[in-house]
Amino acid sequence: MLFNKDRRLFLQTAAKLGLSAGALIIFEQACSNLGATEEVSSLIPTSQPQVVPTFVPTPTIDSIRQTVVPYPIASLTPTVDSTSQPDIVYATSTPAIDKKVIYDPRVRMGHLLRRAGFGASKEEIDKYLSIGEAETISYLLEYDKSDDSNVESRIESLNLDLSEKLVDLQRMAMIRMMYTNRPLQEKMVLFWHGLLTSGWKKVGKGPYILQQDELFRANALGNYDDLLKAVARDSAMLIWLDSRVNKKNKPNENFARELMELFSMGVGTFTEEDVKESSRAFTGWALKKKVFHFQENQHDFGIKTFLGNTGNYDGDDVVDIIMEQSVTSSFISRKLFEFFAYDSPEEEVVARLAKTFNNSGYSIRAVVKDILTSEEFYTEQAYRSKIKSPSELIAGTIRALGIESTVTYQVRKYMGPMGQELFNPFDVSGWPENEEWINSSTLLNRLNFVNAVAEGNRRHFDYDLVNMIDLRTMSETKDVVDHFVNILLDGEISEEEKGIYIAYLDGLLKGEDLQTGLTKDRLASLVYLVMSSPDYQLA
Amino acid sequence: MLISRRNFLKSTATLLPAFASLPMVFRRAVASSVLESRSYSSPYPNRTLIIIQMAGGNDGLNTVVPYTDSRYYDHRSYLAVSDEDVLDLNGELGLHPVLGKMKLLWDQGLLAVVQGVGYENQSYSHFESMHVWQTADNKGKLGEGWLGRYFESLKGMEDNIFQGLAVGKLMPYECSNLNAPIPVVSSIDKYRLEGSSEQRSEALLKLYGSSPLDAPYGVLLDNTIEAVYKSSEALQTADKNYQSDIQYPETSLSKSLKVLAEAIIGDLGVRVGHVKIGGFDTHSDQIVEQPDLLQEMSEAIYAFYEDLKAAGRDQDVLIMTWSEFGRRVKSNGSGGTDHGAAAPMFLIGSPVIGGVYGENPNLRNLDKDNLRFTTDFRSVYSTVLEEWLGAAPEAILGGQRFEHIPFLAKS
Repeated sequence: MLFNKDRRLFLQTAAKLGLSAGALIIFEQACSNLGATEEVSSLIPTSQPQVVPTFVPTPTIDSIRQTVVPYPIASLTPTVDSTSQPDIVYATSTPAIDKKVIYDPRVRMGHLLRRAGFGASKEEIDKYLSIGEAETISYLLEYDKSDDSNVESRIESLNLDLSEKLVDLQRMAMIRMMYTNRPLQEKMVLFWHGLLTSGWKKVGKGPYILQQDELFRANALGNYDDLLKAVARDSAMLIWLDSRVNKKNKPNENFARELMELFSMGVGTFTEEDVKESSRAFTGWALKKKVFHFQENQHDFGIKTFLGNTGNYDGDDVVDIIMEQSVTSSFISRKLFEFFAYDSPEEEVVARLAKTFNNSGYSIRAVVKDILTSEEFYTEQAYRSKIKSPSELIAGTIRALGIESTVTYQVRKYMGPMGQELFNPFDVSGWPENEEWINSSTLLNRLNFVNAVAEGNRRHFDYDLVNMIDLRTMSETKDVVDHFVNILLDGEISEEEKGIYIAYLDGLLKGEDLQTGLTKDRLASLVYLVMSSPDYQLA
Repeated sequence: MLISRRNFLKSTATLLPAFASLPMVFRRAVASSVLESRSYSSPYPNRTLIIIQMAGGNDGLNTVVPYTDSRYYDHRSYLAVSDEDVLDLNGELGLHPVLGKMKLLWDQGLLAVVQGVGYENQSYSHFESMHVWQTADNKGKLGEGWLGRYFESLKGMEDNIFQGLAVGKLMPYECSNLNAPIPVVSSIDKYRLEGSSEQRSEALLKLYGSSPLDAPYGVLLDNTIEAVYKSSEALQTADKNYQSDIQYPETSLSKSLKVLAEAIIGDLGVRVGHVKIGGFDTHSDQIVEQPDLLQEMSEAIYAFYEDLKAAGRDQDVLIMTWSEFGRRVKSNGSGGTDHGAAAPMFLIGSPVIGGVYGENPNLRNLDKDNLRFTTDFRSVYSTVLEEWLGAAPEAILGGQRFEHIPFLAKS
């Protein structure tokens, strides 16, 4: 298999070590010439990834952990609000693989809300810390209980044309991500839109894309077989992958192939014969008057042999057979884990999630719950290990700073140039991930977006930067830096980075004292720098 | 105290000769214009290779039509291009009728068609097959793009941020290399850093350079911010100085190629330019969709060529097209074609010796409804790497040697 995880893992390890894969290969060869292959093999992952701490370690941490396990280790930067004592409930569904667990409740909460949602303001994090981590996870998972009428009325007030205008669909999606009270539901909608994608450029105007978006929202954490069967009948998908022209005696392979390759089993797990046979099962699944219609005279009722089973199968049978494959449960579990936690999970983690998936009747909610309550999710391997997608960067910034942005034209203007034109992905594989989000053009546009936010044009990004800090409690520039680093980066930066921020702000102040010298523009410059930093590009 | 990454790389580089290809550390915080400081190691410093990726799997049989083979008409039913409409090349093959501009290039001896290009054990997955072409490896052993490996081989030998320039929104995988990320630009207009001041830039570059050795994606982010600073100003300058009487069509591919023309004519030192045109996955409605795309491509290439010629740079530019696979010989029932195998590649430009290379598709001897490949795509890569770019192809193509194809005039 060419797209195997080893290659990804290899590249990631290379990236983390500061080498390109090419350099690693050269390194490996050089070392083997010297007869030093054993040392090298620890650099080049086989099945177990090299655990590299992403935190700023202090020399004593390891020795502390050996004696007092598990005990919350104090954060390197003090939390702002030390009065609230959250009830810390650490889920331990299974013992975590040997890696460093994060214990600071505020850092854990920031991480949880970024991954299972789109981030949060300081006030929200305080609120969630007061109800505790376990309760917060329940709140996220059982989103039906949260009233989201606020976001619906925001959308209504804009009089959007959601059938004819891609721009309006994108504005709607951004408003949901920025202001929903059901962040996990919206995060799952983004996940499904990436995995089971369809695009405006082929589907076109009409009710289709909106309906697909609603389908994903309604089934955000439902059972996967139900979702796949619904997607197979979804109008946008019928157009996107040509099912509507898949006819008896004239099968079209497009949907059947991607159903297996992209949606459920993965490349290399089925044969070309399976593609041909399963496309027959979906013949006659057509589109009539813009909705799904079973066109009986175009359905092939003949016997099909698919993945070793033989029968008079239709599309639902094909989905059922796919669900029984062991590769399916691993495939979807891995996708979900990588979306929420980190890439290239250990095989035992995937196996555990796959079991959860199968034992729960293919419940996505069960798998996501397992992930969010797992110890792996709160390890240094997971923390800040992913590149924020443009949606995450934008919605996360709006949420973290508590910005009002009802116009949203400005907001969506930045999405395309950052590489994510919602509802219009590049191709059938959906959204890029991680390193694919970063190139000179997208990074430049990320910086331009945070610049626009920092400048804070009232019409587009309405918030009060000056009132976000209470200067009476601050005596030096370090306090100001800490304040914004806490809000935007969980307070987690290296001393070297902190020094750069402090020197920068000192340079802007030119010796004036904080109370008089800290103008809005200077504050904005500091906030720009924090949001332009490499740390802020990471989720 | 943490070791910062740049210091680590610096010290490691001195310890191990194998690390000679690692990037040099930043010499200054804020980069000045590339024009002043670049130096070349390439033996052909003025030459550029332009890659046009036809994403989705272009139907080769309807691009270079075997119109004298009756089997073509048997397989293709109404999708077939009529022998009366084709633009004849040599009495047995003809271009699709929308490729009029390509025919003009053919008539001037500027178009080479390499037939039957593919690889062993063809993958019918878009992504797997693209990956094969982009890594130049069908065994999945070589990480990163083949051009990325080329860029890395130059890094440290020449200070030139424009070793490559990709036009589009994402880094093309064939160009990707964490240590040598080439600039990616979608439009020069928007390729401008807003609200930038010297103080800010200095602090920002320090932040990117200080991220710890083990920070995920630290290398990529750091190298990319360098590319942002170095390339945005240079491109703005090239854009300001660019003057041309050539009218490019109002299409996306034309706009992309125009960006490359500006960079080449502006003498930014672009070794490799990359553009992409998508939509060739014609499972249905092929009769409408493919001709539109082919026409867009043909007209864009022609305008680009004319532009370079007017600027006296056409001798320096070689264009190469590729697609992850051709399509099934027999058309499907929905007015389209499903994923297939071998297909032709185009090499275009003044350096080219026009003609048809390789074996024409054999419709009598199919491999499960698909064309058999007769030319390994890496033969084309190898020819281009060595004879056009002056690079050692073995190092880049995983140590293997591939037969060269004589489509390039000897320089």
